[in-house]
Amino acid sequence: MIRLLHTADWQIGRTYGFLDADDAAALADARLAAVERIAQAAAAGGADAVLVAGDVFDAQALSSRSIRRLFHALESYAGPWVMIAGNHDAALSEGVWAEAQRLAVVPPHARLMLQPGVLELPAQRLALLCAPLTQRHTPDDGTAWFDHADTPAGWLRVGLAHGAVQGLLADDIDAANPIAPDRAARAKLDYLALGDWHGTRRIDDRTWYSGTPEPDRFKDNAAGQVLWVELDGPGAPPRVQPQAIAQHRWRRLPRALASGGDVDALRAELADAGRGDVLQLVLQGTLDLAAHQALQQLLDETQARVRSLLAERDGLRLAPTADDIAALQAEGYLGTLIAELRDTRAGAGADADAGANPNPNPNSNSDTAQDALALLTQLLADRRARRPGPAAPEAAR
Amino acid sequence: MRLTRLRVAELRAFRQPFELAALQPGLNIVAGRNEAGKSSLVRAIRAAFLERHRSTAVEDLRPYGDAAAAPSVELDFDIGGTAYALRKSFLGRKRCELRIAGSRRLEGQAAEDHLAELLGFGFAPKGANRDEFLGLPGLLWVEQGSAGELAAAVGHAAPQLQRSLQQSVDDSIAALSAGDGDELIEQVRNLRADWLTATGKPRGTLLQAHDDAAARQAEVAALQAAATAYRRQVDELRTLRDEHAAAQRDAPWAELRQRQQQAEDAWRAAQGLAAEHAARRDELQQKQALQELLVQQLAAAARQAADLQARGTAAQAAARALQQATAAEQGARAAHAAAAEQARRAQATLALARQEDSRAQLSTQLAMARQRSAEAATRLQQAQGEAARAAELRRAAAAAAIEPQDLQALRERAARLQALAIRQSAIATRLQFELLPGAALRLDGEALQGHGERLLLARGELQIAQVGRLVISPGGPDLAELAAEQQRLQGEQQALLQRLGLADLDQAEARAQARHDGLQASEAAQRTLAVLAPQGLDSLQAALDAADAQRQATEGALAQLPPPAADAPPLAAAAAAVDAAQQAATAAAAALEQTRRQLAADASEQQSAERERQALAALLDSAEHRTRNEQAQARLAAGHQQAAALQATLQALQQRLDGQRPDILQQDIERLRRSAEQAQQTFQLRGIRIAQLEATLAAAGAQGLDEQLAQAQQALQQATRRHAELQRRAAAADLLLQRLTQHRQAFAQRLRAPLLRHLDRLLPLLLPGARLDLDEQLVPQMLSRPADEAGDAELAPLASLSHGAREQIGVAVRIACADWLREAGRPTLLMLDDALTHSDDERLARMKRLLFDAASRHQVLLFTCHAARWHDMGVPLLSIERRAAG
Repeated sequence: MIRLLHTADWQIGRTYGFLDADDAAALADARLAAVERIAQAAAAGGADAVLVAGDVFDAQALSSRSIRRLFHALESYAGPWVMIAGNHDAALSEGVWAEAQRLAVVPPHARLMLQPGVLELPAQRLALLCAPLTQRHTPDDGTAWFDHADTPAGWLRVGLAHGAVQGLLADDIDAANPIAPDRAARAKLDYLALGDWHGTRRIDDRTWYSGTPEPDRFKDNAAGQVLWVELDGPGAPPRVQPQAIAQHRWRRLPRALASGGDVDALRAELADAGRGDVLQLVLQGTLDLAAHQALQQLLDETQARVRSLLAERDGLRLAPTADDIAALQAEGYLGTLIAELRDTRAGAGADADAGANPNPNPNSNSDTAQDALALLTQLLADRRARRPGPAAPEAAR
Repeated sequence: MRLTRLRVAELRAFRQPFELAALQPGLNIVAGRNEAGKSSLVRAIRAAFLERHRSTAVEDLRPYGDAAAAPSVELDFDIGGTAYALRKSFLGRKRCELRIAGSRRLEGQAAEDHLAELLGFGFAPKGANRDEFLGLPGLLWVEQGSAGELAAAVGHAAPQLQRSLQQSVDDSIAALSAGDGDELIEQVRNLRADWLTATGKPRGTLLQAHDDAAARQAEVAALQAAATAYRRQVDELRTLRDEHAAAQRDAPWAELRQRQQQAEDAWRAAQGLAAEHAARRDELQQKQALQELLVQQLAAAARQAADLQARGTAAQAAARALQQATAAEQGARAAHAAAAEQARRAQATLALARQEDSRAQLSTQLAMARQRSAEAATRLQQAQGEAARAAELRRAAAAAAIEPQDLQALRERAARLQALAIRQSAIATRLQFELLPGAALRLDGEALQGHGERLLLARGELQIAQVGRLVISPGGPDLAELAAEQQRLQGEQQALLQRLGLADLDQAEARAQARHDGLQASEAAQRTLAVLAPQGLDSLQAALDAADAQRQATEGALAQLPPPAADAPPLAAAAAAVDAAQQAATAAAAALEQTRRQLAADASEQQSAERERQALAALLDSAEHRTRNEQAQARLAAGHQQAAALQATLQALQQRLDGQRPDILQQDIERLRRSAEQAQQTFQLRGIRIAQLEATLAAAGAQGLDEQLAQAQQALQQATRRHAELQRRAAAADLLLQRLTQHRQAFAQRLRAPLLRHLDRLLPLLLPGARLDLDEQLVPQMLSRPADEAGDAELAPLASLSHGAREQIGVAVRIACADWLREAGRPTLLMLDDALTHSDDERLARMKRLLFDAASRHQVLLFTCHAARWHDMGVPLLSIERRAAG
């Protein structure tokens, strides 16, 4: 019985432009940390081999520092590590693997399969049929030769490939690098370890995607795991056990807010978010002043607590009530102005004022009016805070 | 507000205290002549309120020359029911005291600040108070000459006006304390200024963010380009490697070389074929040449046979000719002999004719010669005679020679002697005597008798008998000289005559004449001789001798002739006959010669023709000749066959050759050779390129392009986000500022409405139909007037009106402000110090109406020096002439 650790899509070198620079750097580092944890897990769990099904690197021309760090991260587990080239790190005439070899940082216990072929591991009586990608996009099924490949009798036959299983996965996966859905059966494989899909997914008993060990997008697809595969012997069905290994949890939260109460609810929901969370809040709705301020405060606090917070607020509108306006002590034309800005609807702004900036985008006028409104209410609130005047009426809650 | 009492002391014109206590609530007109102190009073009131009591800049308050003065002012006034009493003194004694409603008391600065707050003005931090701080009083208290300076006054008063007036706005517009609204606007403006310039262009952090994003964009673009290039090169490397491997396997150049070899072989074969063809062709040519020769040979033989035939004919002809020539020769010979005989006879006849002819001639000659000889002798004789005569004459002339110069000398001397004599007679003492008969005188021994005269040239002695002796010495030295001269000349003359052998001059003359005549005759004779004998006598003699000789010769010749012949024909005829005969003889000789020649030619011709014919016949008969001919014919026939065979061979070869196209083969060889070379070269170059690419990619890979690109893209996204964020904020601030200022303007406009209302009410009293519009700062700008009979509707800036009109409008506006302030509950006091000096009577009348009306609402203090103009205001004039008395 051997235990294999199946992982893939490490995507070392990936950057997160849509996040703040510090967050992005931390999350990029987290990918390497994940590799280290895989090594530790493999060592702790007594793995006989670690199979990395492609996309070790996110790009071809990485800095030598990144390449070195990756290979150093493999230290904790003495091997063997078996890596194939995926589509991001395809084994081209020249690329990241060639660079790694030139830098001579590939440790002996890491076996790089850059050409299709069979890797025999006598110690484990394991024959690995490897189908690395030698091009970014291969119209042909690179695993087709598995069907006729010979391996020593009595040895385990395990396939290692990178691509899209035809017909089963969503269309947003690139149709390039196809893999037949019944390859494991046709090639009489005991197990087929796949990479490219970033979420852990079972195709059939013997065919699994391990997913990426550290999530890298807001899709909720069970990413952040490695797979332990136990094989008793040739022909025996594999026992596959996912193990969570990710440091961060990426979540997308679309929420509608209509009042201060909704904001409170959101606050409760986010109460347990911490350093391991990468959150995308997509907010919609209309808020009065108090709720708006409460929301702002909530976002500021949450941002400080979590790894990274992306707040999409384009769908939110600020609509101060009359009481709000009174509470601000916005006398005279200030109050009139507040009401005006509040009531500027999308498209209505284009003809509203003489001297308004003619803007081709009708929505932007209402957005600008919203921003102006927020700014004005903020200034007035600050002023009121500085010199407390007559007691403001209680803002409606 | 209204003043009730004013008292000044030690202040400018008022060294003595002066009090004005009769101030009324409405209009107060204070009249006084120039320098009566009106302006001092105005200054006093102004200083009391507007200058700090501690101020050191109020020196002008002192009366002139009074350095120790302590100008003081006392003012009693009330505002809104509260009575105030202000006591202030400056310089020498600095004090300020304000009593409010009798009980409350403020001193010094506190009092001054209280008044400032009350009346709406401020103080300059240092020195004399300045216009910009004077606020409401600065507007309402008009100094001399500054009624027209409206803009500045209103401008300085505007804040106070605004502040006062906020409160007067009616409740329908919710009040906004102006300070807060402005403060907010200022805040927003500052906020906006962080990102936008006044014209709306990005600046500061927004500009930076924009530039940043742009820079990142550029970076990303560059890196993308590099990454793309990298990928392209990777693909290229793959392609090249595949090609290289294939080329290594297939070695296309080998095949090409092989084909080249084949082409070369083919070409060589073709070359061989060509050579053979050439050889064959040469052979054929040789054969043909040979054939030619044979043909020629045979032809020559045929010609020879024909030749023989011809020669035979020729020989015969020559023989016939020879016969004929012989006959001709004989005939010619006979003819020739006859002609010769004839010629000889003619010759003999001629000789005879000649002889007779010459005889005749000689006779003639002899006669002539004799004649000539006679003539010559005659002439000679004459000439000789003439010559002798000439010689004789000449000799005679020579004998009578006298030298011309001698003759001349004689003549001259004679003339001189004569002249001398004349002179002498003139100079000389003339002695005339007439003697009596028998008396005798002796002059130098010469006895004188009778009468006569004597010239005494020299001392003379006159002896008179029985008388004595008279010595007469003629006077003059000349006489002596003359005498001497005369003596001399005479001596010379005489000598010469002697030499010449002559007696006197006349003889000399005669001799000369004779000589001359003789010479002339001699010359005539000479001339005659020349005519006779031009060449001289000798030649005549010679001619004569010659003629004689000739005569003699001719006689001799004649004697020698043989006796005459009788029948001699004339010479001419004989000569002609001789000529003819000779000609005939010559012709006959020629003819003979010709025939002889012909004969010789024909003979030789005949011989040679015969010889040739024999030779050729011998040749042709020889057996050798015949054999050769036969051989030649045989060979000719054989040769034809061979040539035909060769021709066929050649044709076959040619056909084969045509099929080969060695020129194309040569091209093939070249083409294949080059292709093979190129293939190898391409292979090598590709190898080099592969090495290059590998090195480049290794270097590029080491740069970590993709990683850099990812980083740059990340940075770009962040920069773009930040820029968008700042843009949004800037837009919000911009919009907010716009709206705020719009609202504020509208609001301010509504605030101004009351002032405009007052102005619209007052201004038409001065200028019917006129309107004045105010700007934001409440400063009047444009005056509009409807069309009147003078011209069109007019819109003019206030500054362009005349001084008088500006003054009037200035006062009107101030009154409107005062009305407005009154509505707002502020104290109003109008002071006009000589404010309407430039107004004409009509305008002044209107202003008076305005002032009267204004006085019903405010206290107006009007100071004037034209008392006469202000009697119709319904109030008594307050005079300050009393000062002089008090």
